[in-house]
This record gives sequence, structure tokens and C-alpha cells, in this order.
Amino acid sequence: MSEISRQPSSYSYRLHKTSDEESLTPKAFVRLFLRTWPYLKPQWKHLLVWSSARFLIEIIWVFAALVAFDLFNNKVLVGEKLESSQVTLLFLDDSYRSYVPDQTNETVEQEQGEAPMLTRVQRAEVRDRLLILFGIAGVFIFMLSPAIDYYRTWILQRVNQFLRVTMVERAEHLSLRYHSNARTGDAIYRLYQDSAMITSVIERILLEPLVAIGQVFFSFFVLCLFSPVLGLMFIGGIIPMVWLIVWYTPRLQIRSRRARTTNSDLTSRIQEGFAAIRIIKANRADPILRQRFNQDSRTALDAAFYLRVESILMRMLLMLLVGLMMIATQYLTAGWTMAEDPTFLAGSVALVGFTIWNFGAFQAVQSRTSEFLLNGMDLVRIWTVLQDMSVGLDRSFFLLDLEPDVVDDEDAVPIPEPILKITYTDVTFGYDPDRPILKGINLAADVGTITAIVGTTGSGKSTLMSLLLRLYDPDSGSIAINGIDLTHLQIDSLRAGVAIALQQNTLFATSVADNIAYATADVDRAAIEAAARVACADEFIRTMAQGYDTELGERGGKLSTGQRQRLSIARAVVRDTPILILDEPTASLDAETEHRVLANLAEWGRQRIVFVITHRLSTIRNADQIAFLEDGEIVELGNHETLMAISDGRYRRFVSAEVEVTSASESVQ
Amino acid sequence: MSDITTNGTGSTPKFDDRLDTETRISNLEVAGILDRCLRLLGAVPKLFCSKLVLSALAIIPGLYYQWIPKIVIDNVILQKAVEETETPFPPHMAPLVNVITGLSPMETLAVITAVLLVLLFVVGRGGTYAYFSQGEDSATQSENQMNQGGSETSGIIGLADSFVQIRLSQQLTNHLRTTLFQRMARLPMTTLDDHRIGDAVYRVMYDAPMVPGMCYKVTLEPIFMIIGAMISLYLMHYSYGDVAPELVWVAAMMIPCALLVTVPFSALARRVQQDSRAAGAATTNAIEESLGNISAVQSLGGMGREKDRIDKHSNESFRRYRHIKIVNILLEFATLFLLVGMAFWVTIFATDLIIAGDMSPGDFGVLFGIATSLGGTAVGLGRFWIELQGNAAAVRRVFFFIDLPSEEHGASLPKVGPLSDSVKIEDVDFTYPDGRVALRNINLSLKPGELVAIVGPTGAGKTSLAYLVPAYLTPSRGRVLFDGKDTREINLDSLRDQVSYVFQEHLLMSESIRANLLLVNLQASDAEIHDALTTAGAMDFVNALPDGVDTILGRSGDTLSVGQKQRLCIARGLIRDTSVLILDEPTAALDPQTENALVNALRQAAKGKLVIVIAHRLSTIRQADRIVFLEDGEITDIGNHHDLMSDPDGRYRRFVELQAGNVG
Repeated sequence: MSEISRQPSSYSYRLHKTSDEESLTPKAFVRLFLRTWPYLKPQWKHLLVWSSARFLIEIIWVFAALVAFDLFNNKVLVGEKLESSQVTLLFLDDSYRSYVPDQTNETVEQEQGEAPMLTRVQRAEVRDRLLILFGIAGVFIFMLSPAIDYYRTWILQRVNQFLRVTMVERAEHLSLRYHSNARTGDAIYRLYQDSAMITSVIERILLEPLVAIGQVFFSFFVLCLFSPVLGLMFIGGIIPMVWLIVWYTPRLQIRSRRARTTNSDLTSRIQEGFAAIRIIKANRADPILRQRFNQDSRTALDAAFYLRVESILMRMLLMLLVGLMMIATQYLTAGWTMAEDPTFLAGSVALVGFTIWNFGAFQAVQSRTSEFLLNGMDLVRIWTVLQDMSVGLDRSFFLLDLEPDVVDDEDAVPIPEPILKITYTDVTFGYDPDRPILKGINLAADVGTITAIVGTTGSGKSTLMSLLLRLYDPDSGSIAINGIDLTHLQIDSLRAGVAIALQQNTLFATSVADNIAYATADVDRAAIEAAARVACADEFIRTMAQGYDTELGERGGKLSTGQRQRLSIARAVVRDTPILILDEPTASLDAETEHRVLANLAEWGRQRIVFVITHRLSTIRNADQIAFLEDGEIVELGNHETLMAISDGRYRRFVSAEVEVTSASESVQ
Repeated sequence: MSDITTNGTGSTPKFDDRLDTETRISNLEVAGILDRCLRLLGAVPKLFCSKLVLSALAIIPGLYYQWIPKIVIDNVILQKAVEETETPFPPHMAPLVNVITGLSPMETLAVITAVLLVLLFVVGRGGTYAYFSQGEDSATQSENQMNQGGSETSGIIGLADSFVQIRLSQQLTNHLRTTLFQRMARLPMTTLDDHRIGDAVYRVMYDAPMVPGMCYKVTLEPIFMIIGAMISLYLMHYSYGDVAPELVWVAAMMIPCALLVTVPFSALARRVQQDSRAAGAATTNAIEESLGNISAVQSLGGMGREKDRIDKHSNESFRRYRHIKIVNILLEFATLFLLVGMAFWVTIFATDLIIAGDMSPGDFGVLFGIATSLGGTAVGLGRFWIELQGNAAAVRRVFFFIDLPSEEHGASLPKVGPLSDSVKIEDVDFTYPDGRVALRNINLSLKPGELVAIVGPTGAGKTSLAYLVPAYLTPSRGRVLFDGKDTREINLDSLRDQVSYVFQEHLLMSESIRANLLLVNLQASDAEIHDALTTAGAMDFVNALPDGVDTILGRSGDTLSVGQKQRLCIARGLIRDTSVLILDEPTAALDPQTENALVNALRQAAKGKLVIVIAHRLSTIRQADRIVFLEDGEITDIGNHHDLMSDPDGRYRRFVELQAGNVG
């Protein structure tokens, strides 16, 4: 049928359930909607006012139609006289009244004879007044409806905003263990598309079904009074309809979940593609990326298509049943009408209005039947939409249900002051518990000391430091500050006490000053500049077009790695914390700059506990202690002299590898 | 973090946009966008024609369903003979009327029931649509836009009609967003710095889906609106002759009136749409930046701050969406005023005739119905121009990037093969668009088989110099020759096929290691993957991973250490096996032993190739055949380590001594 379906795609119409595509149990389905209440609750007053206003408008409409129908059709168009109440409503005089007191009766009879009718002038007058009345009601409704619609948007946006922000907050606090397996595009999709489903909850599960259900039951009741045969036929027709709905419900949910999953994958594809765009360009991978994008895009579109196919097919089958019932009703009632059979509850005229099947009864049954069936179809539509919503809500709540691994203890205390000592005791940790990265680490660092962490790539140096920030908690063993276990400290207070210059040099697309002050509240320009000077960043910042106010590119683009590294260091320095961690702070700096930065940092770090992860000998040698890491274990610990004294020591070998190069260069001289 | 300002001049960047800052467009430009959208239909001719035919078919059942109840009432229930009916049946009813003429009411009922059953299967009753819940901002409504489809009818025709339209909508969207994605990936490096990732997501995911609507609003919708109006006119003429020609004139007048009322809104309608989308993109940027850098955010304790930032942006995007609502409400007022005015006039006009006895009361309903349907069409035509503005504003955002100067890939230009002679850089200056001078008077000749190190203080222009080779940057002055051909005059794709560039950042996709390597060379065999990983020193740790090369990496490879990621990136650079390999500080995160091994392996693997390494490490630099020392954008020294060290005042020597001094 189309290019899309010709492409090899991972989804065809045939439905194969996979384990992560389970449909919701009825209990879970109900629970999902109940769970939306806490997010709706803060707006309950607004929701109530809005629903009432909507209801009020409906009533005004019904009332206006009721009033106008008789006045217009029978009075204006035909010319009958008005009822007393109608005369009062339109502020007319008694000459319009159908039943008039004796004294004025003569004048009417003079003109119209025995059947009192309105004059042409009077009919025009009634019409004019009716139009004025309608105009007033119309203006009121036309003013109110958009206002109510706007109000609705405002309320629902607040509901959605609340859910979004709650989700963001949860996502921000989820441990990196979660994030390292999650994709950013997926979070974007959940925050936007999935969370938006909450805006429809009130209308789809309360307002719309209530009206439709009311109509269905009322119509069904009246139809039964006309003829129980019809009632039985409808019940007979409803059984396969219900069966169809029950059969389709899990299919709709599975389709909806696929549509959402594939679209979220597509979002991730774009996000990752552009995050790595330079790599893509450099490797001429754009045709391959485009092809993958196109495939993901088609897969997502196919999934969305099949969700709609499912929904349309179900609707179509139900429509067929409904159509058959309508035709059958028409056939039966037309036959009864021609035979002039009595209606079922002929005696109770008040309820049915017709004793025998006649034209009026036929018309009444026709309109009741379509009301009954069309409202029934509306319920099916709502049900279909609810399945999609439930899946969206499920995906939103999934994020909220994730408990951060790292949480504050109930009686957590702030970080102690002053900080004197940090101790690692028998710490073991692995991102995947089966593959430990750190094994039985013991390490202590005192205030006023610099600890260098040295070791081969992948030996666990950065991980060791991320445990100190409680980005992860150790699998066993403990880390303590002044003897207090980290798990007893408030996470926010802990992280406020530790500044880190990251190896990845993550910068944000804002101004230079904002980037330096990123992790510090209320910091003035002088402090920012001072920190930049410590990091030797001030000099290049001043040459930039707007100095400290220069906006950086995406992920800090436009700067060289060495410049980014220095901003990253300045960001750590400006926080003025008792603990400082530098992760490969100078790897991309030239020797001269490195020298100056390190000298500044040594001066600045006097009363602090400093950890430096580095390969540079010049940095290592100045450390008070050196922890040499290999395969997640500290194999040697001590200062430069001590470690060099170990013959055949690992550190010694490491140093000689470096010195070899240097001596080679010296020999040239 | 970036301030949300409400001052509305088009030239000052609002929201997060740095590239797309001139967002105002004229009505004429909208017409241009419209034209381009219509051309997109050329990509899906079959689907579009099918939709057109099916939609036309969908009109037919309405014509029958209108008359059948009349037959049921008059000729069945009221048992009139068909011949006695006062108002004549329209011509298209003739076959059916012929069949039932002379039948008894019961037989007529049977025939009608049979006809209804057939109609039920073919065209069903009522319309078809698949419309799911959406949110209260522009982004969350894209899903319904992208998959819009439905039919005025159901049954078999309705089924086909809806499916065709959904596919049509999807294809149009897919076509546009794939083009957009491709163009964005081809933006020049200097432009990419200013391109926000979240913005790209927004444009591809939420702006592009507005294109089907744009196509329908100028094709299918007006066509069927006008057909509907013509049917109304025909019916009116058929039944009422020339009783009320004024009605037709009034309805016709409604079209210009409606346009007169609505057109002044068009600039405003575009503006609020654009702002809502820009605010949405800013929200996406905030979420993307915050969660994409979550490890940094958490390490720096920025969670609260990020939450507040997203909160603020999200609130702003909701607020901007409400502005769209307000404009729509104003528009509704204006057009409703017209429509209501017309309804009042028709009422007065018709009732006057009825009161005067020129028409029967029964005629009012018919006349009123036809008049409002005509008026509705007129107002609909007036409003559709405004609705179009919303789509136009979104689609403009897509076309903006499609039109942005991207690298001229010069398909017609001559291609180059593997480097055989030399890369020559002649008298090159390079100045960034913002005026920063990066390179000055560069002259350099590089030959295959050489290992060249570019050395110098940070910010000296090393990366800019390396960027010249694959033409990521084009010189402001002078030229770069690849095997004697100016890089501006050769096919860019063929040039880049010869160059692998390994960056300082190490970005990996959250896919398997294998997929990451295949990303750059789909044809790579297992053996080549193995070789590349071995040369890059990555084989050991890859083998230690649970699924080896098929291990799925966490986001941006988060579960690996920086050094490990760096080695995978190097392997990715090697697997393309190009004649030029550029490594931009590839070894910063590696320990000296690993690095030494790597450089040795590189030398072995890179025989006959040109290898350019940007490095600070002496151990790496020393192995280079030639060293290019760069300072403040100028080359101060060129030569091998030995030669350069023998110049007592050389910049390079000073550089080495500093490094050595640190060690010694």
C-alpha cells in the first residue's frame, strides 16, 4: 500500500507479545487512574468551578432551545397565541396571550374569529423579542465558553506541570546506576507525551462517560417500555460487542505501548545522534545514521499506524453491529406501525406517550435508538482512548516508582564541620555487582593533605571518587567523614561539601560565568573571577568577545579541551568546599599551564582534603600520599619516596616508564 | 539558565535559539512555504490520488442517507404511493425509486432494508477516525498531527479512506523529517556549536509533523468544503428555485467578509505559534542538557537547580501555548460574530416571507439549514488561512534548517582517492565567524607514511589546523591541497572518505560495541573489528565484558571508564582504514604504559598512511617523524624531535624542558 509497508520493518500487523509488552491487569488499570488523583487534587477547586461552569452552559443551551422551539415554530411561524409564561418572558402585553381575561376578549375575536391567532405585526414582534432574548443568551454563552475553555487549558496545564516537575525531580535524583542504562530521549518522551495523558483524565473518566452512560440507560429504559422485544434484541447485540471490546482491550494496550516505546527510541536516536554529531561527521557516518534514523522513524510510524488500525477495526466491527441493530429496529417498528399494534406499556401514557404504534411513536423510537446506540459507541471511543492513556500514565508512573538507590537516611545529619578525616574501609563496589570494580579498598586522608590516585586505565580511580560523592553506594564496606558513615549524612549537604572537577569537562550552553558558578548559589562576579584566576582561565576568558558573559556553544563547544578543562577546575574552586576532587585535571593542558594551575591549586588547597587522579608525575610527586590502584585494589600506598623504595614495586615501574621518556629527551640535549 | 525574556522583536534571540533568530515571516513567505509543502505531495502521488478518490466516494452515501428516511416515512409508514410524492426525488435516486414504484409498503420496507444493509457494509454509518488524547501544549499534539487520518464515512470505503490518509500523513512527515535530519547532520562544524540538541529533537519530532496538515489545508479540505457548499446550493436551487436568491449572495459575501476579519490575525497567529514552539524547544533543551549530563549534574549537586530550570521552561512553554488559545478565541469571536449575524439575518428574512405567507413554516428549517451550512463553509474558508499559519510557523522551523547553508558536498565535483602524494596547506589564515583569529599564515606539506605531531600550548589552534585537512573548516585565506587538488573544488564526501578523525571527546552510542564500530564502516568484518580493537588496546577489556563486542553500552558509554571509552573511539577511527588518520589528543586519559603501547601499535598499523596526532605527552610526540609546533595560530617550529631540540632558543625546546623539568 505504501512505501512504509514495503520497507522491511520490525513490526507487522501480526501481534506477537513479548515479555515487556504485557497488557495491564484490570486492577492495575484502575489503580493507574486512581494514582492520578494526587496530581489533580491541588487543582480540585478549579476543576470543580470549571466543571460546574461547563454544566451551567449546557443547561442554558437546553433551556434556551426548549423555550425557543415552541415560541419559534408554533408562535412565530404558525401564529398561535402565547402561553402566559411566554408572554411574561418576552415582556409582551395581554393581547398576545392565548387565554385572556373577559374584558379584552372582544378585541381579539374581532380580528381573528373563533381561533385566536397573532397578527402579522405581533408575530414579527414576538420574533424580534425572541431574537433579542436569544442574542443576550448567545452573547453570554459566546463570552463564557471560550473563557471556560481557556480556564480548562490553564488548569490542565498546571496538573501536567506538577506531574512533569515531579518526574524531573525523580529523574534528577535517580542514581547513575539507573541513568547509565536509560536513554535521555526516553526521559524526554516520558516527560512530554506520556505525562500529557494526565490532562485528559477528568474528562475521559468522569465527565464524558457520565453523560454517555446516563443517556444509554435512559434511552434503553424508554425503549423497553415501548417494546421488550427491542430491549431483548439490544441485549443480544450487546453481548458480542462486549466480547469484542474485551478481546481488543489488551491488543490496544500492547499496540499503544509499542507506539510509545518506538517513538521514545526515535527520540533517543535523534538526541544521541546530535550529541555525537561531530563523531558522525568525522567518520562520514551520516548516511548510516540517516538510514538508522529512517528505519527507526518508519518503525515508530508503523507502530502508530497499527495502533490506529486496531482502534479503527474495532470501531468498524462495532459499527457494523450497531448498524445491524438500527436497521432491525427500523424494520420491526415500521412493521408494527403499519399494523398499528399497541405499545408495551400502552396504559402508562405518561411514560411512553403513545398507546399504539403510529408515526409519532416510530419517530420517537428511531431517535431513542440512535441516541442509545451512538452514546454506546461514544463509550467505546472513550474506552479506546483510555487504553492509550493508561499506557502513557503507566510509563509516567514507572519513572516515579523507581526508588533512588541512594537516599537520605531518616535521621541523616549534615556534613560535620570542620572536616578532619576521610576513611574508606573495606570498600567493594561494582556497577554490575557480579563484576566488582573496587575490591576491599582501605584509604584514609587527613585535612591539609593531597592524595594522588594513580593507576592504569580502567583500574577504578574515578569510581573510587564517585563513591565519596555518593553517586553510588558501596556494595560492602563503608566510607566515613570524621568517623560518620556517609550513609548517615544528608546527600545534599555532602555534595555541597565536595567540589569536583570532572574528567569529562561537562559544560552547559550558557555563559562562561554561569558555567563557573553552576554548582554554587549566590556567588558574585569577583569570586567567579578569582576562581578563574586560580584555574588560569581568566586570561583566555578575557580575550573572548563578551568576556565572562560569552555564551558557550552546545556542550561547551567553541572552546578547546584545555580551556574547558580550566573552566571545569574553576567551577570546582569557586565552590570553596572543604573537600576537592580533581579527576585528571591537567591531562589536556600544556606543561607550562599545568605547572601554573597546579601551583595555584596547591596554595589554594592548604586547609582542605584534596584528591587528584592523575598520570602526571609532576603532580603525583607533590602529593602527601599516593594510592596506586590496580584492578580495583590499592596495591601500594605511601608517599613518593616510600613507594620508590620498594624494589620492583608497581609504582616504581610506573615512574620509570615515564622517566625513560624524559631521560631520552634529556639525552638529546 | 538562559533568561526568558518577553520583549518581542524578531531580531533579539528569545528562548534558546541562537541560529534561528529571525523568525518573522510575511504572508508572501507563507505562500512560499505552502508551495514547498505542496511539492512534497509529489513524493506520494499514489497515496494522495487514492485519498482524493476515496474522499470523493465518501460523499456519495450522504446523498442516499438523506433520502431514505423520507421514503420510509412517506412510502412505508404513511403508506403513500411513490408516484404521489409531491417533491420530486433528485436524479441520483431514480434507480431506487424505479424499483420501489408500485410495491406495497411492506415490500418497499424489505427493499429499503436490503439497500441499507448493503450500504452498511460498503460505507457504514457515520465517520471514522482514530484520535487519541493529547496534552495542552504544542509538542504533545504532534502525535495526532503526524498520524491524522479519518473518513467522512465508515464501512469498507471508510476503512480504506482512513488507512490511506494515516499512511499519507505519516509519509509526508517521514519524508520531511528525514530530510531535516540529514541536513542538520551536514551543518558545518562552526554552525553545530550553536545548535542545541534538544532543539533538534523538537524540530524533528514536533515541528515536522505539522506538514501533513499544511498539505491538507490547501488541497483536500477546501476542495471538499467547496463541494459541500455546491451540494447545498444545488439542493436549495432544486427545491426552492429562485425564491431566495439573496441567500446565495449573502453566503457568497461571507467569504470575503470572513477573510477580511481573519487575515489581519495571520501575523499574530504565526507569532504565537512560533513562540510556543520555541519555548517548547527551550524546555526540551533544558531536559536534554540536564539528563544528558546527569553524572555531572549529580556530581556538582545541581539537581535542585536543574529541576527549577526545567520547571521554569516548562511553565513558560505552557504559558506560550495559552497565547495560541487566546488568539484562537479572538478569532472565534470574530467569525462567530459574522456567522451569528448571518443567522439572525436569515431568520428575519425567512420569517418575514413566512409571516407574509409567501413560504410555508416547513420551509424555514430547510432554508436555515442550507444557509448556515453555506455560511459555515465561508467562515471555514476564512479561518483556514489562519489555521494554516500555525502549520506554517512550525514548518518554517523545519525549512529553516533545511535551507541553512550546509556544506556544499559538490556531487558534481571531481572525487579524490586515497592520499598518494601529499596534503599541502598554503598561506592559510583562518578566522572564526565571531572574529577570533585561529590560524595565521600556515604553510605545511604532509606526506603519506608520516607520523606528524601537532604540538603547542592550549588554545594555540592545533585543532583548527587539523580541521583543515578534512575541510571541517575552510580557510579564510590561502588553500588546502589534497593530492594537488584544492579541497574546495573536490567532492567533500570523497575527501572525508579518506580521513578518519578521532576527537578529544569520547562519545559512544548506547548500542553494542559492534554497532558503534559498524556505525562508521558497515562493511567491517569480524576480523577487522578484532584488529581495530587490538590495535587500540581495547581487546582485553572488551573480552572481559559479559557479552564481549556485543555488550550494549550504557548511555554515552557510561559504564566504561574514560580511558576505555577513549580506546573504543580510537578503534572506531581505525576501522575505517583510511589513508589519513587524525588523532586529537587521543591519549589524554591513558596511563603512560597503555599510551606507549598504543602509539607503537598505531605506527605498525598506519604504515603508508598519513597520521596526524595532536598531543601534549612527550612520549607520544617523540615518536613523530615531524613535529609542528604551533603558538598563537602560527607555526613557529617544524622538524623532528632531534632537530628541534638542537635549537637552543626554539619554542619547542622550551616546551620540552618545561615538561621534563616537571618530571626531573
